[in-house]
Amino acid sequence: IGLQVSSGLQDLTLRDRGGRRRDFHDLGVNTRQAMVHVQESKTGFSGKMIKLTTNHFRLTSRPQWALYQYHVCYSPEMEARRLRSALLFQHEETIGKTHAFDGSILFLPKKLESKVTELFSRTRSGEDVKITVTLTNELPPTSPTCLQFYNIIFRRLLKMLNLQQIGRNYYNPSDPVSIPNHRLMVWLGFTSSILQYEESIMLCADVSHKVLREETVLDAMHSLHSQVGEERFRDACAKELIGLIVLTKYNNRTYRIDDIDWDNNPKGTFRKSDGTEMSFVDYYKKQYNIEISDWMQPVLISQMKRGRGNIQGSVALIPELCSLTGLTDKMRSDFSMMKDLAIHTRLPPEQRQRELGRLLTYIQKDDNVQKELRNWGLSFEYKSVSFTGRVVQGEKIFQSGTMFDYNPQFADWTKETRGVPLIRAVPMDSWLLIYTRRNYDVANTLLHSLLKVTPSMGIRMNKPDMIEVDDRTETYLRVLQQRVTPDTNIVFCILSSSRKDKYDAIKKYLCTECPIPSQCVLARTLSKPQTIMTVATKIALQMNCKMGGELWSVEIPLKQVMIVGIDCYHDTVSGKQSIAGFVASLNQPVTRWFSRCVVQSPGQELVDGIKACLQTALRNWSKWNKCLPSRIFVYRDGVGDGQLNTLVNYEVPQFLDCLKSIGTDYSPRLTVIVVKKRVGARFFAEIGGGLRNPPPGTVVDTVVTRPEWYDFFIVSQTVKNGCVAPTHYNVVYDTSQLKPDHVQRLTYKLCHMYYNWSGIIRVPAPCQYAHKLAFLVGQSIHREPNLMLSDRLYYL
Amino acid sequence: MDKNFQEEFTQIIKFEPPLYRQRYQFVKDLVEKYKPKKVADLGCADCSLLWMLKFCRCIEVLAGLDICANIMKEKMHTLSPLPVDYFQPSERSLTVTLHHGSVAHKDPCMLGFDLVTCLELIEHLEESELKKFPEVVFGFMAPRIVVISTPNCEFNALLPGVKLYRHPDHKFEWSQAQFQSWALEIARCYDYSVEFTGVGQPPTGMEKIGFCTQIGVFVRKYPQTGESVQSEKPTEAVYKTVFKAVYPSLKDEKYLQNAVIREVIFTAQIIKHRLMSKREEYSDDPERKSKSQSSMDCFSDYLEKLVVEKNMEPFVSGNEVYIPLATIFSFPKVNRLCGTFEKLCKLIAGKVTLSSDGSAVMFNIEHENEEN
Repeated sequence: IGLQVSSGLQDLTLRDRGGRRRDFHDLGVNTRQAMVHVQESKTGFSGKMIKLTTNHFRLTSRPQWALYQYHVCYSPEMEARRLRSALLFQHEETIGKTHAFDGSILFLPKKLESKVTELFSRTRSGEDVKITVTLTNELPPTSPTCLQFYNIIFRRLLKMLNLQQIGRNYYNPSDPVSIPNHRLMVWLGFTSSILQYEESIMLCADVSHKVLREETVLDAMHSLHSQVGEERFRDACAKELIGLIVLTKYNNRTYRIDDIDWDNNPKGTFRKSDGTEMSFVDYYKKQYNIEISDWMQPVLISQMKRGRGNIQGSVALIPELCSLTGLTDKMRSDFSMMKDLAIHTRLPPEQRQRELGRLLTYIQKDDNVQKELRNWGLSFEYKSVSFTGRVVQGEKIFQSGTMFDYNPQFADWTKETRGVPLIRAVPMDSWLLIYTRRNYDVANTLLHSLLKVTPSMGIRMNKPDMIEVDDRTETYLRVLQQRVTPDTNIVFCILSSSRKDKYDAIKKYLCTECPIPSQCVLARTLSKPQTIMTVATKIALQMNCKMGGELWSVEIPLKQVMIVGIDCYHDTVSGKQSIAGFVASLNQPVTRWFSRCVVQSPGQELVDGIKACLQTALRNWSKWNKCLPSRIFVYRDGVGDGQLNTLVNYEVPQFLDCLKSIGTDYSPRLTVIVVKKRVGARFFAEIGGGLRNPPPGTVVDTVVTRPEWYDFFIVSQTVKNGCVAPTHYNVVYDTSQLKPDHVQRLTYKLCHMYYNWSGIIRVPAPCQYAHKLAFLVGQSIHREPNLMLSDRLYYL
Repeated sequence: MDKNFQEEFTQIIKFEPPLYRQRYQFVKDLVEKYKPKKVADLGCADCSLLWMLKFCRCIEVLAGLDICANIMKEKMHTLSPLPVDYFQPSERSLTVTLHHGSVAHKDPCMLGFDLVTCLELIEHLEESELKKFPEVVFGFMAPRIVVISTPNCEFNALLPGVKLYRHPDHKFEWSQAQFQSWALEIARCYDYSVEFTGVGQPPTGMEKIGFCTQIGVFVRKYPQTGESVQSEKPTEAVYKTVFKAVYPSLKDEKYLQNAVIREVIFTAQIIKHRLMSKREEYSDDPERKSKSQSSMDCFSDYLEKLVVEKNMEPFVSGNEVYIPLATIFSFPKVNRLCGTFEKLCKLIAGKVTLSSDGSAVMFNIEHENEEN
């Protein structure tokens, strides 16, 4: 009915692909102006100076540069965009050779003689058309429209360099890396964005890798069929394939698979734009000379989204003609695949900058590109920007009255704290250990190891109820129903395979119907004698946290503070549900966390649920502390590109509303910080003439931050290979009156508090907890867990 | 002709599919018929015809020529290879080149073509250019086949809104007689045969006004010109190349080698996977009882047969799995790519881990079960 087969390559327009232009860079969201205390300065001061370079390049324009925006209209009205362009550009002598035109808005680097210019053209059919070109705007280099325009021009340059667009980025197809073991191909490419930064307009360019799969969707279906068999085939296809991005064989467009139409096949027909019906087989033969070999395959459906998610018809695609791109979660969890990929995609700092340098050399050397830039009066500095950052001092780790320093180079205190009692060790008086017959030995080894490692931690552990089961999901559930008592501290399951349904069933039961912490471990993990002690130690710590234990702390100088973390999980499989994880600290040393989550159905706003979460969190905090917190910090993760405006205008007011509803005399200081892990910025420390990853604790709050925001970057973790990614923090609301330095320090401290990793992590612990919770619920439980568990880290 | 009748007609003359599409289809049909290897489109404009032709599998060289570089550049990127061309390089080689220049000038890059198309080109030529055109195309380029299309002005009366010419840039529009006499003269002069046809059927009862677009198909009567003749021709290049794309092809050793390595490793992986899962069948997991493979999965049947017939069984020894190259070679895809066993060995030498005697692909399975 509304089906439409993909057309050819869309040419360059001022609109983003998919029709409506989206503001991916959150331009025009000016949050800093409302925060008086950071008007003058938003920079911190503590720490040692460090010399940094980055992947930003200054864009320069000639003096008094401006971009002229014109509105173009036609009389009589012309519909087709191509015709409109053709008619307009019959007047190149007036308009000039350099222009950008999307059908109605025209950008020129020069001002036309008069404000309104009338031009006359004739169509092929001899019709006379009057074109009126009216100057509507003279844009200064820093205006948002102008910035968008720079980005369009830059993409045009990449196209001129013969790079290929896949999705949002451009890739170099001529030198692909093939990884035959996994049927993957990696293309090197670039991400680019041009933005107004603190002092100047800069290009932020980064190396990007596109993983292409040599398999077609049909290949993937075949291998799924052989894996799961006939009955589960369709479900498995839906699970594996829906949500994936495919690249069509015959043109260079990407589509998201939204549905699979099992009732259709290539012999089916669709309505072409001219209204005639044609079968897929005939269409592909006629149009692309492609013979579809499998006539029984189903047809993939991709929705065409325009504007605010309004569905505007769908496209039908043939599995055989679609290759898969990107990685699925299943592939990501394939250790050997990720290892093989990392060799090619994790570039160390020096190499990363070298690849970027190559791009800039292409730009510099290509005559056409240079000509285009010259015509617009623009140029780039080909040396990346350098500046000074700060490395704040490492935190002291406290554990049961002992204080530790960690080696800042590794950002890890596993060794230092080994064998030291935990802050709060929860005894394991009554617990279950469930295993299959095959894993009897493994279960015993584990038990011995746990008995060996727990005493030094201060964990009292009794012998568990050892329960042997056969490896059926129903058996596990039956055993749980029969053997779990209200006194059970924790349930330990040794699973023999990583089958998700079994894991999901156990977790679902123990998180909802029968709220008891649980620990599932694969037998494989426990089967190596040389690592069993390390594994047992980690498991003991994790179980202790799940039962409400506390491991270590750092010094938090603020009093009466509640820290909140929020992250979202979007279910790509069913495509409908989103889950927001919400955690909030319960005590002064921020070692205990309250948690809830919001399961959001389509069309429902997330904020309503979050408001309810905040209310319960405050109630619990006051129960624990006998008063309400006087400061609240919200670390909000999971905010997509272009969603900042919504967050600032809807979510923050809801937080304030919620606080107001607690009581008229209650007005705590609130700070809302948007946390972003996926940023294009990379920093390199200039050490000994070479480029290295900056050490953990590196704070950047100048040059590459945005003038309209109160924002900063922190590099908090270390990486073994590749480049470390800084995390971007954007304080969008702040009545704390704290100095930026203190907000930065607090943020960094919180990166030390994630109990599943005795080291510093990439985001503040509450964000990672919220992520873990949302992931567990989204992947396995699909509804809000029992609130009985809400004061423990059961989701670790 | 009844004036009223004619006016009535002007209201409804509309071609379906549009005329330009019919012209392209005409060329495509011609390509299907004659299977030319080298095709040039003179006056290629926005490269639409070239884009359609790149899907024709017989074509190995595609060239476009236009007097306006900007219009070619507008969509020339559609002529670049696609991702799939890189990971499934095709058997044929294909080079697409765009030249900026005039049909009134000779350039050696236009020599040796099998088919040259000039759709709606000649009517845009100035008188001086039109004069040189036959010598450049038929005398110099001298391809086996030339296709020339141009408006038939006798049809204009039926087209709404057409006063003098169909397009303001047209320098002339010819009647059937004018076009045919011009074409016949060229054919005679350069030893070609010519047949006339067209697209855009006239309405019933008005057949004598002819097709809306008239087409002449010229076929060279003499055989391929020898080297000696060509060497007399000027070799000075006057066209400017604005675009060139060389498609990955299996004829290129580099791509062939990659394709073979990929296919060998992939095939070996599948065999290994089957072997390992068979070994695991004795587990105590009742849910994993190996279900009988479905009909869709003919691979395992094939493998069974192979092992039984030829005794080329893969085997495990210690931490290593060995899959004989002979087994891998017997798979149709690998076989087709390499042709001979020797070629297979040569192509994968040093790129795939083999057993010490080089007869089998070797995998180490020691770290297989490691996880993060």
